[in-house]
Amino acid sequence: MRGYGPVYYVVEAYHGLRSNSLVNLLAIGTISMAMLIVGFFLVVFLNLQAAVGAMGERLEVSVFLKGGLTPQEQDYLLTRLKAEPGVKKAVFLSKEGALALLKKELKGQEALMEGLGENPLPDSYEITVDAKYAEAAKMETLTKKIGKLYGVEDVSYGRQGVEVLDRLLKLVTYGGITLAVLLGVTVVFIISNSVRLALYSRGQEIELMQWIGATRWFIMGPFLVEGMLVAVLGTSLAVGILAGLFHALPREIVLFLSGPGGLDFLPTPVIAYMIGGGGALGFAGGIVSVNKFLE
Amino acid sequence: MIHLYRVSKYYEGIPALREITVSVDKGEFVFITGPSGAGKTTLLKILFCAEHADEGQIIIQGMNTFRLSTSSIPYLRRNMGFVFQDYKLLPHKTVFQNIALALKVIGTPYGDIERRALLSLKKVGMDKKDHLTPLKLSGGEQQRVAIARALVNEPQILLADEPTGNLDPQAGQEVFRLFKDINMKGTTVLVATHDWETVQKMQRRIVAMERGKIVSDTKDPVLSPTAPKQEPSTR
Repeated sequence: MRGYGPVYYVVEAYHGLRSNSLVNLLAIGTISMAMLIVGFFLVVFLNLQAAVGAMGERLEVSVFLKGGLTPQEQDYLLTRLKAEPGVKKAVFLSKEGALALLKKELKGQEALMEGLGENPLPDSYEITVDAKYAEAAKMETLTKKIGKLYGVEDVSYGRQGVEVLDRLLKLVTYGGITLAVLLGVTVVFIISNSVRLALYSRGQEIELMQWIGATRWFIMGPFLVEGMLVAVLGTSLAVGILAGLFHALPREIVLFLSGPGGLDFLPTPVIAYMIGGGGALGFAGGIVSVNKFLE
Repeated sequence: MIHLYRVSKYYEGIPALREITVSVDKGEFVFITGPSGAGKTTLLKILFCAEHADEGQIIIQGMNTFRLSTSSIPYLRRNMGFVFQDYKLLPHKTVFQNIALALKVIGTPYGDIERRALLSLKKVGMDKKDHLTPLKLSGGEQQRVAIARALVNEPQILLADEPTGNLDPQAGQEVFRLFKDINMKGTTVLVATHDWETVQKMQRRIVAMERGKIVSDTKDPVLSPTAPKQEPSTR
């Protein structure tokens, strides 16, 4: 096939796009709407993931020590804690230090501290957990393990907060995946229909090409490229609209939605994956139609 | 060049071809005649791999078409030209573009397309009308363009199915004259027709069919000029 490679397919696909411009414009518009929803979910997901990551960075576990541990026993426990996967940092907090901290936090409500008598707070190790462990199941395992170590009285962490974040992230992830699959199927369906219309409008030509010795790929190539181009244009339009909407958001809304790291738009690699994925869906839609037609 | 051995074809159990055995040598000119429903078109379609035979063996240019994969069929077709009764020209393309398509399909380098397309059109006397669309041509002219398209890739075999069916007698004669010239240059020609008058005039081999069977195979028609029963044919 000298001289009839990708360039030929692209030129023919361009002619195909022009000759069925209305159908293709409608397909591009519909795909852009579908991809806009995918893009919106990606923005939400990535920002939520960043927020969870940032909260994980700040997640602390308090390991309360039994009374009467010798300094050697405390050091041994510290070594064991630091050796645990998931423990990023462990700092000793004496019972006096803990009381001072409590007093500082209860400033203005000192009445609550009256009648305490002896300091009831135990010595503790304050552990900073690796962000990767900021999941309910992992935290549960880690704290149980720490709780069994010699000299540990009790372990405490913001369990509820971790569980809520965990559930929220799972909801967005699974919801997003389900929606992406559904919308992906929709894109394949839209493309296969627009390519089918193009095929029917050129049915006579295709039949003739088969009669005069055209290979399957020679016939399929331009239609597959056409499907890919429609999907890539639709996805690019969706990214453009999404970027426009994102930057047009009022500052108050941005601040309200912002996590600790601020509200970010889709990073360039994600945009590239999205457009590439759109192209792949377009290719799949083209394959579905052309195969059915040529059968 | 072409060998068929006990070839049968059925459509929903009804036989269209029954145990056809025939051989065509390189450079031969063969008329396939017979009434409507005799199986002429089915026979040509099987040779062109547009239909699959249900029984028998078919060898074309040394290739057994039963063993041919679907992806190999286009390459077999490139060695054959096919001329249709309804010309099958693309109405929105010019005469030149119609011929160029046949060249593109087989991967002819862009630089050679114009020269070869015009040369082929010149052979059928249509090079001056290369810029026109088929709808601006007469039936005879359209069929000449279709012949130019069939010949542009220099096939070794030319198949024609009722090529003069839509033409007036004069245009029909012109088409047969072209076939004769093509055959003289070494191309094997098989023509399915019910134009008995022309068949007789041409004095070439005649394979007569009836109800899916070959009823006579006359290699020297001068010696046996009996006309088989004829009717307008569509299949």
